[in-house]
Amino acid sequence: MQSLKPQGRKSISYAKYGYFFILPFFIVYVFFMIYPLINTFRLSLYGNGGSADTMVGFQNFKWILFGGSRPAKAIHEEFIRSLGNTVILWVGNFVPQIILSLLLAVWFTDSKVKIKGTGAFKVIMYMPNIITATSVCGLFLILFGNTKYGAVNAMLLDMGTITEPVRFVDNVTSSRIIVMFIQTWMWFGNTMILLMSGIMGIDLSLFEAASIDGASSGQVFFKITLPLLKPIFLYVLITSMIGGLQMYDVPYLFHEGAGQDAIRKQLETVAVFVYKHFHLTSPNYGYSAAASVILFFITGILGLLVYRFNTSSDDRAAAKSNRKKSKNSKLLGGF
Amino acid sequence: MKNLKKKLALLAALACAGTMLAGCGGGDDTTGGDTAEGGDNAAVDNGGDSAETTTMNEEEQAAANEAAAVELADDGDKLTILCWTGDDLNGMIDMFCSENPDYAGKVEWVQQGTAGGEAREQYKQYLSGDGDADLLVLEADWILEYLTDEYTVPLSSLGIDKSAYNDAYPYTVAIGTDEQGILRGATWQAAPGGFVYRTDLAEQYLGVKTPEEMQDKIGDWSKFEEAAKTVAEASEGKTAMTATLGGLWQVYQANRTQPWVKDNKLVLDNAEGFIDLAKSYYDNKYVTDGTQWNDGWYALGQDGSALGYFLSTWGVKDTTASVLANVEGCKDNGASWADNHGLYNICIGPQNYFWGGSWLAVSTKCDNKTIATDFVNFFTTNKDTMQKYAETSGDFVNNKAAMDAIVAAGTNSNSLLGGQDQFAVLAEAANGINMDGLITKYDSAVKSSFNTAVTDYATGVTASKDDALNAFQDDIASKYPELNWD
Repeated sequence: MQSLKPQGRKSISYAKYGYFFILPFFIVYVFFMIYPLINTFRLSLYGNGGSADTMVGFQNFKWILFGGSRPAKAIHEEFIRSLGNTVILWVGNFVPQIILSLLLAVWFTDSKVKIKGTGAFKVIMYMPNIITATSVCGLFLILFGNTKYGAVNAMLLDMGTITEPVRFVDNVTSSRIIVMFIQTWMWFGNTMILLMSGIMGIDLSLFEAASIDGASSGQVFFKITLPLLKPIFLYVLITSMIGGLQMYDVPYLFHEGAGQDAIRKQLETVAVFVYKHFHLTSPNYGYSAAASVILFFITGILGLLVYRFNTSSDDRAAAKSNRKKSKNSKLLGGF
Repeated sequence: MKNLKKKLALLAALACAGTMLAGCGGGDDTTGGDTAEGGDNAAVDNGGDSAETTTMNEEEQAAANEAAAVELADDGDKLTILCWTGDDLNGMIDMFCSENPDYAGKVEWVQQGTAGGEAREQYKQYLSGDGDADLLVLEADWILEYLTDEYTVPLSSLGIDKSAYNDAYPYTVAIGTDEQGILRGATWQAAPGGFVYRTDLAEQYLGVKTPEEMQDKIGDWSKFEEAAKTVAEASEGKTAMTATLGGLWQVYQANRTQPWVKDNKLVLDNAEGFIDLAKSYYDNKYVTDGTQWNDGWYALGQDGSALGYFLSTWGVKDTTASVLANVEGCKDNGASWADNHGLYNICIGPQNYFWGGSWLAVSTKCDNKTIATDFVNFFTTNKDTMQKYAETSGDFVNNKAAMDAIVAAGTNSNSLLGGQDQFAVLAEAANGINMDGLITKYDSAVKSSFNTAVTDYATGVTASKDDALNAFQDDIASKYPELNWD
């Protein structure tokens, strides 16, 4: 006699219980992610140091972006410097990193070359990423110490290449190059694995057809691999850019001497700027929060631009209509 | 049947939510338990608002100190001391408990960070939580931040009067006094510093045989520079007079006649003078290119790159862990040493100065008045126990009578200094230190910015003295925009 029962009671929706089950996550998420996020925006409108409770409107932004009186000018110059450092350090590690990982990814996936022991290589190359930045920095500080007690300095002095120790950590160029190298070395394995998975996702028959038609390996790379790798490539570019703009640990740690004033000015990224200001005796929450908000918008805008530049309008239209059909445009649509 | 399923699903969801709530409940219980304690503290806080801002003579100050005293609870479980120097505190607590067997097991320390700077930040977090804290160990550079009603109560709350410190070295009392002239901190140790030098190198390059002769050679800044020149020339730049720019500044800053921040403005005072001195010392190799507190620092003495170090009492303690022990190449807890073990001597150097030292202050959360009083008295006012502590630990205690007695007895001999008695040298230096009105809450931040600016100029990162001064002032401007910068 079930058919006589009212329509509404016929099927029970269990969906709402699902919500109960995921509730704990959302509660934690709201408390530890959403609230701090909103609070950062709020704090960026408040004062610094002793006047952290006074609302100052957009003064922090004004000072950071345009300068003015002495402290404002100091903050402004500090921020612009750290933004410049961030860009330099990011470009300097991203370009060699992407070239290296692309090259390796192509080699490791090439069915013609057939390199033996790819698994071992992958593990070895991924290894630097597992070591914490602290240890890596400690290692490089021992190698490139400022004085004659630094390993590289000791070696060069011993060989007679130099007569005075080189201050690798203090010197603007050398310290930046070392940090770029550390970043590249730590992350190329990770990028390589991402790119490899992208290449392996490409239909093998395309490569076969190309080789039957007599395409050179250069042609295969530029005409097949690269265009079809674009979605993954775009993903790598955007995540690396976001990570790069928030670069913090290595530049922060790469200095000699104690205390945060010993952090090298040429390595101070925006994230270091944020940390330094809220870690003062009387914390400058306002500047930190305002710089974070500015960084947030910069990241957002750059992310959008990169995405726009790398996808033609056709792509986007196709992505929209084919979202369900094509695996690649599905990935694109995910952004 | 469907109903049952529905119920089961609901039950599962509830159970899931229930676990979460159970977690919250536990949290509530703890806070609940502590609110009662919080109530005591609130009463304590209210009492401390009677500070006077005007300048006062001694009698008025004594009265103000008296008036500022607050009632403290005495029902606590254990005396808890916040510090970042657990090893030192261990020794102190052991001695305190062996002299006062009643208190055995009733005193404990809580480590907050491993350096003074870390402790400065972590105390605030700890104190805003519900952890117990009776006494705080504080450092001169940032002590003023904590000598306020928010964190500490006047020492008069323990019934300890300022007059109890008549025998203490005056500079230590000046540092323990807050901006209103109320004594809130007292220290068990004075940290006068001297110049510790390698005797073999001093004899080779300067021809001196005793610490007195050495003192004659480097008794003021011009003599010091001359001696440095002799050393640099005689060694052909292989040996510098002193180890680091940081150490040099530690001494030179005792020259200051004004606090870093006065009338809400940054005061440069002798800063420019030091920038010049640092640059010329560095260029002429009177000082090495090393940095304090890393491995290279210790190595400078071992391979003869530096003739001497500026170190204070705690740096020359006759233990296997002190700075000097490291400089002398102590390995495996003293099982083996480098060749220069005991090769050092100490003299006062170009100027009286102090470096470091820790102060004790009573937390607003203190709930062990009796033990706290006894502990503070034991280490900061009682001559006999302080003398005993100095003799057993090698620490330079903050009591003139005690130190004079030790020096007069002539029993102290420091194996790191080849048997020399460092107390005899440093007791003299300790009397000559004046810190009246020179301490500000900005000190630690200003000093570290200044040190960076000076080092960058000396090593050539910044091109000119003006750039260095600008970089320094900009740094402070961005740290403290609230100062007057017109």
